[in-house]
Amino acid sequence: MLPGAIQCTGEDTSVNRRVIGSSPNRGAKDFTWESAHRLPNLFEVNWSRTRRKPKKPHLDYLEKFDESHICRRSTVPEFHLLMFSQKATSSIVGALCFCLVLTSFCPLGMAQKKTAPVEATPPPVREDFKFGNIDLEILEQSELLDTKLERDGLVLQDEAANAYVRRIGQSLVPKGLELERVSWRFRVLRDPQPNAFALPNGSIYITTGLIFLVDNESQLAAIIAHELTHVMRRHTYVQNRSNRKKFLTMNIMAAVGAYAPGGIAGAVIIVATTVAPFILMATVFGYSRDLEREADLKGVDMMISAEYSPEEMVNVMKLLDKDIEGENIRLFYNDHSSLDERIKYLSSYLGARSDRVTHQMELNRERAAYFKTMESVMRHDLQLSISAGRFRSAVFHAQRLVDFHADSENLFWLAEAYRTLGPRSPQVTAKELTNSAKKDAAKKRQKRTLEEEERELLETPAGKDNWQRHQQKAEELYLRALNAENPVPAAHRGLGMLYEKLGRANDATSEYEKYIVLAPSAIDRERIKRRIEALRRT
Amino acid sequence: MRLNNSVVVFRLRALILVLATVLLIGFTSPIHAQFLHPKIKSKETTIRTVVVLPAKVNVVRDSMKGPEGMAAESGEMSMRVEKMIAEVLSKQKNVTTLSPPSAASGQGDSQPNYNVADFQTKFDDLLPKIMKKRSDVKKGRFTMGDEVLNLNLEKSTDAIVFIRGEGKKLTGGKTAFTLLVGGVPAYLRLQIGIVDARNGDVLLYTDPIFGGDPTTAVDRLRKALEKGFKKLPAAQATR
Repeated sequence: MLPGAIQCTGEDTSVNRRVIGSSPNRGAKDFTWESAHRLPNLFEVNWSRTRRKPKKPHLDYLEKFDESHICRRSTVPEFHLLMFSQKATSSIVGALCFCLVLTSFCPLGMAQKKTAPVEATPPPVREDFKFGNIDLEILEQSELLDTKLERDGLVLQDEAANAYVRRIGQSLVPKGLELERVSWRFRVLRDPQPNAFALPNGSIYITTGLIFLVDNESQLAAIIAHELTHVMRRHTYVQNRSNRKKFLTMNIMAAVGAYAPGGIAGAVIIVATTVAPFILMATVFGYSRDLEREADLKGVDMMISAEYSPEEMVNVMKLLDKDIEGENIRLFYNDHSSLDERIKYLSSYLGARSDRVTHQMELNRERAAYFKTMESVMRHDLQLSISAGRFRSAVFHAQRLVDFHADSENLFWLAEAYRTLGPRSPQVTAKELTNSAKKDAAKKRQKRTLEEEERELLETPAGKDNWQRHQQKAEELYLRALNAENPVPAAHRGLGMLYEKLGRANDATSEYEKYIVLAPSAIDRERIKRRIEALRRT
Repeated sequence: MRLNNSVVVFRLRALILVLATVLLIGFTSPIHAQFLHPKIKSKETTIRTVVVLPAKVNVVRDSMKGPEGMAAESGEMSMRVEKMIAEVLSKQKNVTTLSPPSAASGQGDSQPNYNVADFQTKFDDLLPKIMKKRSDVKKGRFTMGDEVLNLNLEKSTDAIVFIRGEGKKLTGGKTAFTLLVGGVPAYLRLQIGIVDARNGDVLLYTDPIFGGDPTTAVDRLRKALEKGFKKLPAAQATR
């Protein structure tokens, strides 16, 4: 998934199924049963060396042994028996857990290490992958999720857009590739947040928000290639297998921690079992980052094979880095590498792989063709953005659409975006883009409704100023939309809403009435009628 | 003063027990949490007919190896909750349930289907704000706006019911683990919002909860729902 991702419902996408990035098995090899036996003794040896009397009476026997006994287990069996029975049990259990943590670090020999050379990408398909019961369960969940997304009205029923995405997807899949239990489906999801995700059954979803964000077909191909790699390299299954191991380890650690004995050994176990889950979670995210890196790099290879401009993979990362709403908060751990890092390694990889730089004119042509094909999807996304309160994104994207084609409908959407933007600033300031400011804003978003936010902003001089400017701009754009060729009736509705807010009841009524006449079967006819009635009453 | 190890361990366990009790009380208290809009309390608005929008209940199976999705069971659970809410409202509050605006046919005009989806998303956006201060429902603070009219429901519809839920079912191993070590037991928590079909005001918010396997505990679900709507005034029975 891409940054700012929505978490899909369903186990296969929402549950953490991450893989590790640290060096496998290091430490586990050195940490044997014998050394595990040795651990508790070290504390005791220190005591005996300093000739301090042990604090616990039952440890008195330790003074009988000197340091040399500790390692020579075979020569003093009774010592080890005593230790095992009385003191070391808990430490061994702790050590066992530690070993489990270390063994779970093993990335199934599949994830790449970050230090690996960028050229060393694995083959596109994981040939040796065998389906287990748990994988089949995930597959079943994926099929159900597909059905659910469609049933819930989240899949865009735009045949032209879906066919376009499908064509790009199929051109990227290596010719003649048949993958077990994979049937390729490429669909557009009605979500204004830029995102894409792949299900292990071969369903690839691109949100309308992402379609709007990218500039041309090659950039869309870059995203699809990335998602295709997740399916082809069976990342969901691999990650899920790895996660299950880690969850089991965490639970065992929790059990050991709950029944830890007293004393220093107990304290050590409690500390270890408290810290271990955090380490495990870090490895979960680390593994995920490695898989994302693999998907990025394999994606570039696939783009080159399908004759798309591979440098667009870097450009799409740069686009994703644009935080229009000021909502991408950097967490301590992320399942994706930072975009800066991704841009860096992709640039380095491209330097090694690409021998072709696409001419700007070619890209411009591609951009125009892309906007023409996706215009209806982009308009749909504007409606979703406004409805979701993503007003800044709406203004930004509507402006791009108007720059491309200033027809009545596009002008109407830009007017709508400005009207609903209200007292907010059209762009987030540098101060608002700091991580702490974003966190504060996220907290406020959780507390305040959009109306409350507007009311608060209108009390400030900057808010008032913004509101005035945006209403003026919106009015101007609505009028332009109405004067353009084939004017959209919805511009009358927009003007009506604008005038109603400005307190011009008569003008608002008149615009609403025009709308009802021009769009008699509009879905919001009843709503507008009631507004007219309410305005007449006042 | 030096404390004996066994005393420390005993105190630690006692502390964990107290914390667990406090958490358990905190966990189960929302059973009675119901918040009514002043218009409902003052009987200015009475709910007689409702439309129940498709419920979104998500149940996961928690095993020792982590949570696993239960998409099919979640779907069944959603339908069961929808039906049961309609039953409870009808039997106890004389509220009639009308059919939702559209069933997804997958063909033809997709706009009504999108409309329902968008309202569901709008409620999802509002829900965290309600959760943050549920008692503000009593002040009439939350609204979805007059856009609800775009759903084009029957004119007699007074309110729209939104249902969300999350639950957890434990495997045998995890149940044993929970008993021995502790952890969240099996449960189902619902979040139900009733919204005025004319102006979008949130008229009622309730979040019934019960412990036990959510996929099998039908009676507990019914009881939790009955308690959840306890404060809602009943409509006059039609003759």
